[in-house]
Amino acid sequence: MAVSPLPTRSPSTTLSTSNTAFRLKGVAARSPGNAPSPQILQNADRELTEQLNDNVRQRYMKDKKLGEGTYAIVYLGHLRTEPSSLVAIKKIKVNAEYKDGLSMDAIREVKYLQELSHPNIIALHDVFSSKDQNLNLVLEYLPLGDLEMLIKDGNIHYGAADVKAWMGMLARGVWFCHENFILHRDIKPNNLLIATDGEVKLADFGLARSFADPYLNMTHQVITRWYRPPELLYGARQYSGAVDIWSMGIVFAELLLRVPFVAGNSDLDQITKICEAFGTPTEENWPGVTKLPTYIPADKGHIVPVQGRDFFLRQFPTAGPVGADLLMSMCTLNPSKRSTACQVLQHRWWFTEPRPTNKEDLPRKAGGSQKMGSDLTRKGGELDDSPFKDTARQLDFNAM
Amino acid sequence: MAANYWASTQRRHWLFTKERLADIRESFKERDKAAHSQFPLPDQRLLNIYFSQQLIKVGKRMSTRQQALATAQVYVKRFYTKNEIRHTNPYLVLTTAFYLACKMEECPQHIRFVVAEARNFWPEFIAPDVSKLGECEFALISEMSSQLIVHHPYRTLSELQPELSLTSDEVALAWSVINDHYLTDLPLLYPPHVIAVMAIIVAVVFKPSQTSFHGTAAPLAGAMRDGGMNILAALGDRTGGGPPPRIQKLIGWLAESEVDIRAVIECTQELVSLYEVWENYSEKHCKELLGRMVKSKNLDK
Repeated sequence: MAVSPLPTRSPSTTLSTSNTAFRLKGVAARSPGNAPSPQILQNADRELTEQLNDNVRQRYMKDKKLGEGTYAIVYLGHLRTEPSSLVAIKKIKVNAEYKDGLSMDAIREVKYLQELSHPNIIALHDVFSSKDQNLNLVLEYLPLGDLEMLIKDGNIHYGAADVKAWMGMLARGVWFCHENFILHRDIKPNNLLIATDGEVKLADFGLARSFADPYLNMTHQVITRWYRPPELLYGARQYSGAVDIWSMGIVFAELLLRVPFVAGNSDLDQITKICEAFGTPTEENWPGVTKLPTYIPADKGHIVPVQGRDFFLRQFPTAGPVGADLLMSMCTLNPSKRSTACQVLQHRWWFTEPRPTNKEDLPRKAGGSQKMGSDLTRKGGELDDSPFKDTARQLDFNAM
Repeated sequence: MAANYWASTQRRHWLFTKERLADIRESFKERDKAAHSQFPLPDQRLLNIYFSQQLIKVGKRMSTRQQALATAQVYVKRFYTKNEIRHTNPYLVLTTAFYLACKMEECPQHIRFVVAEARNFWPEFIAPDVSKLGECEFALISEMSSQLIVHHPYRTLSELQPELSLTSDEVALAWSVINDHYLTDLPLLYPPHVIAVMAIIVAVVFKPSQTSFHGTAAPLAGAMRDGGMNILAALGDRTGGGPPPRIQKLIGWLAESEVDIRAVIECTQELVSLYEVWENYSEKHCKELLGRMVKSKNLDK
């Protein structure tokens, strides 16, 4: 079992003792020792939800808005008692979907972050609700942006040792999720945020879920397209941590190339691009693939053989032979042959030269707080680069 | 199931001692004596049974997964460690716990559907307006400090099946014992693996005939009474040549495991007393008292 090296964190525990403000109607005769704060008493007749979590809410101050998306608004905030302690407050817009209760994304995010405590996973400090019935997640403040920002910025130079450091942190975060039976299902560079000390943190658990019981179906409409593994593109309903490993491999490739490696503009195109890059899935290299629900038979005249080590070495020279080997093991078409998170961590690459850069010495870039704002407001599985980026969420005909 | 039980919020924040639970309930009473004398409710244990059974009814009707139902049961219990029943509309809380648990266990039901079904069961207590449920969902999450993952004993049972070579009858029986434990405070008092071990012991040792064991408590209660507390004796006395090899094996396994045997025994006793209390349980009585309370306090508005 994975036990996080971090000491137990959860400021929310204080909530459990202080949070008796619920339904004060008819409790006016409460003994003085237990009297809630005067402000709450005055409003003793307010609606039920308005009285919730006043204590937690009052612990934090919202400062400025960092970003706004269709799904959430992110503010920079701090502890009222300690102005130097910065936090990000993610306010989930409920009103849009109010009639349908809380969205699954919000629920999943709270559910998993509440339990996971690891240096490479964004920390959830508190949760409170505000007057207008919005859920506020108080998250660790990560001011240095995300990996996408670094990959795209041509002024930033980084090398193999830096990639190794970032990948190492990513791999540990993913391993911890899997060890706790959680699939992240949306790993991509802009969900990998960077803390002040350079630590990479896995964020956005809006698509996460626990491993399903055997034979129970899950949805295949997860993971942003470019990072989606072939089994999901073929509509597999039963899958494993291997889906996250594929995404991780593609992130690895992107870090090395500094452009997205297989970037399809539709799900169909994505499959084509994967086949061209890594090889065409067949019954020989992936027994059972043709039985998957939306498997498309490959064009007989155009079957690309599964790429060997040479290809990876040629395509990603900066990875070195051992790094190419690791990448190949993460981008194996057949999910049951793909490395597990644990195997990734045990790979020889981590022990070969160059040693990973110390996290404090990694390349960094200012202006990341806005980036954090936009990262945390995105809805799961969305690409930032779509031509309709700033319009309302586009219709996704593939999802229907 | 997700995450690690030993590091879980369930273990850190939602495990109570019996005394603590009693204190909490006593303090509710102290705080609002008026309501307590004006609206007497059945004994907590009877209320537990009532709430659980109402939930089971809803779950059956909507053919929900057992896991979601179990989670809903625990949500209701957690909620009422923070809130006095007399300040809430229990039917709304039950419905909301069910709705939230379904989302949590990845088998979501549409809010309108849930409200419509709940209104079938309790038309006089559930408003047609879905936003009430949305509001209460919010309250429920907050009251539980957004700690939403619940670990259940079912998985431990499946894992131990091959190890203890349990027959399918025994597993089925242990499974229903686990179902029954949601009718008590046990989910708040003991870790899931202790409950699972308790259920296995009950199934293997008492083994009430499968045919007569169907939903009603009587046979199992009877079996447990007739068998006396043999198991307890057996546990204490490992040298006595008494128990048959099958039970001997189980005891041997228990002795080697690091499971808290005292806790297992306490669980067993709690379950025995459930079956006894159950014999005096009247659904109608609970329903009347709760109905009167909700109506006269206008909690359903």
